[in-house]
Order: sequence, then structure tokens, then C-alpha cells
Amino acid sequence: MSIDGLDPVIHGPARLRIMVTLATLPEGDDLSFSRLQDLLSLTPGNLITHLRKLEDAGYVTTVKTGAGVTARTSVSLTRDGRAALARYTAVLRKLLDAAASPLPGSP
Amino acid sequence: MKDGADEETGMDLQQASAILQETRDRARRALVVRRPVLLAVWGAAWMVSDGVIWLSVRGQRPYNGPTPAALLTLTMVIAAAAVFAVIYVGRAGSGVGGLSVLQRRILLLSYLGGYVALFTLEAAIDHAGASRAVLGVYGAAAPILLVALIIAASAAVFLDWSLLGLGLWLLAVAAGSGFAGPVTVWAVSALAGGGALLVMAVTGLRWNRS
Repeated sequence: MSIDGLDPVIHGPARLRIMVTLATLPEGDDLSFSRLQDLLSLTPGNLITHLRKLEDAGYVTTVKTGAGVTARTSVSLTRDGRAALARYTAVLRKLLDAAASPLPGSP
Repeated sequence: MKDGADEETGMDLQQASAILQETRDRARRALVVRRPVLLAVWGAAWMVSDGVIWLSVRGQRPYNGPTPAALLTLTMVIAAAAVFAVIYVGRAGSGVGGLSVLQRRILLLSYLGGYVALFTLEAAIDHAGASRAVLGVYGAAAPILLVALIIAASAAVFLDWSLLGLGLWLLAVAAGSGFAGPVTVWAVSALAGGGALLVMAVTGLRWNRS
């Protein structure tokens, strides 16, 4: 966890967007690399870099199937990834609530 | 950002919250097939097509069956709804793989197989010498029975009680509408069948908004 208690693997604009987009799909579904890239408007290299970090943390899995013109890389959120995003969202909400509430003793 | 470069992590809480919400909204719009939309389209198609059939047979004594123009209208309305559904689901499902795709294919095959069986059985009933009136009742009520059973069974797949409720309602409509006779059965189907899908669509849209 980072200083704010937020998971540093998720706490970056591109990785947060990747996680949230994949979490929209029901468990058991995956998304093709090209559709994910389209949705997030990221370059292939950039997306690969962030996916690798998320994959190293065990949050996403990428599977390559087929070859040549039928080759397809699909990306999906793991159960750990779904749980990590839920934790991240809960912590973020808590921190925002704390920031919004007045300090004790303040007028 | 340079291609392949790591991103900055200097994102504050408000930015993170905004990105989270915006991405979630955009992803839902792009990837999620909204059931109320499909229910509204199929409910309207059902209501219009069976309503047109009812208008064409209303007042027939004895019952002779729908006019070719009414059957053509029914075919065109159903075809238009099918084209919309294919495009709508295809757009949302582009690039998506896995369980939900498999579920959709199984449901589609169930509907197609069911309709082939319905029409084959209708031909067999006709061949056995059934009257026009019997064929009229069958033509209106049998498709409701098929749709009702598939919707009720899909409630188990999606663990959705509202789908079961819709399926059971349509089963009751299928079972009871035949007693209305070969003419009125089409009006009952349009209102109680197509209408039920429209009610479900409106309820679903309100639920999604709240």
C-alpha cells in the first residue's frame, strides 16, 4: 500500500482505467487486446507495459490464442484483481470522505 | 506520455475518483448489453406484429387466418427487431469472449431450434386435419409458450427473479390466451405478451437510473 493506503499498482491513471474497464465485464469474460486499446485510447506499447505490471501483481491474465491472422490476445481480470479493485475503491471512498469532513474542533 | 513509458503516480484523490467514475460509465456504455433495451425492442415488435395480425382477422366469421399483407408486416417487423438486436449486441460484444458469449449463443440456438420445432409441429397439426381456428390459436399461443419457457429457464442462468416472474406470467398468458378464440388470442398476445416485455423494459430502465 502507498502512503495513502491506496494500492500503488492500481493507483495510476492508465492502470486504474484498465482495471475498471475489465471489471465491467462479468467474471468469466475476457476482452481482446485491440478492443481494450480502442476503449482506453492507449498505444499498444503503453498498454503492454501497464498490463505487464498488473499481470506481475496477479491482477490480470493475458492469453494468446491462434496464429497469424486469427491470433487473438485476450485480457481478463483475475479474482485477486477484482478484490484488489474493490479494496482500492473502498479505501479511496474512505479517504475522500475523511477529506470532506471537517477536522475535530474546527469552527 | 511516451510509448511504453511508466505513468506518473502523482494522481490525487479527486482525480482518481473522477477517472474511476468516468471509466466505469464509459465502459458500461460500450460493453454492457442493456436488457431493458432489448426487451423494449422485442416487446414493441411483438405488440405491433400480433396487433397487425389481430386487425387483419378481426371480424372474420368464420376464421380464415391472417391476410398475406399482415403476415408480411409481421415478418418485416420481426426481421427489423432481429437486425437491431444483432447490431446492438454485436457492438457491445465486439472483442468480448468467455462465458457470457457462450450463454448468448446457447440462448440463440434454443430460440432458433424452438421456432423450427414450433413451425414443424404446426405443419403436422395442419396435415392431421386441424381446423383454421385451431391453427389460429396454436399460431398465436405456441410462440408465447416457447418464449416463456426460455425466459423462465434463463432466470436460473442469470439468477434473476424478475426474469422468472416474466417467464411465469408469459406461461400463464400462453395457457390462458387460447380460450379467447382464434381472433382475440392475437390481441391478448399483443397486449399481455408484448406489453409485459415493455413493462419489464420500463421497470428495468427506471431501476438502472435510480
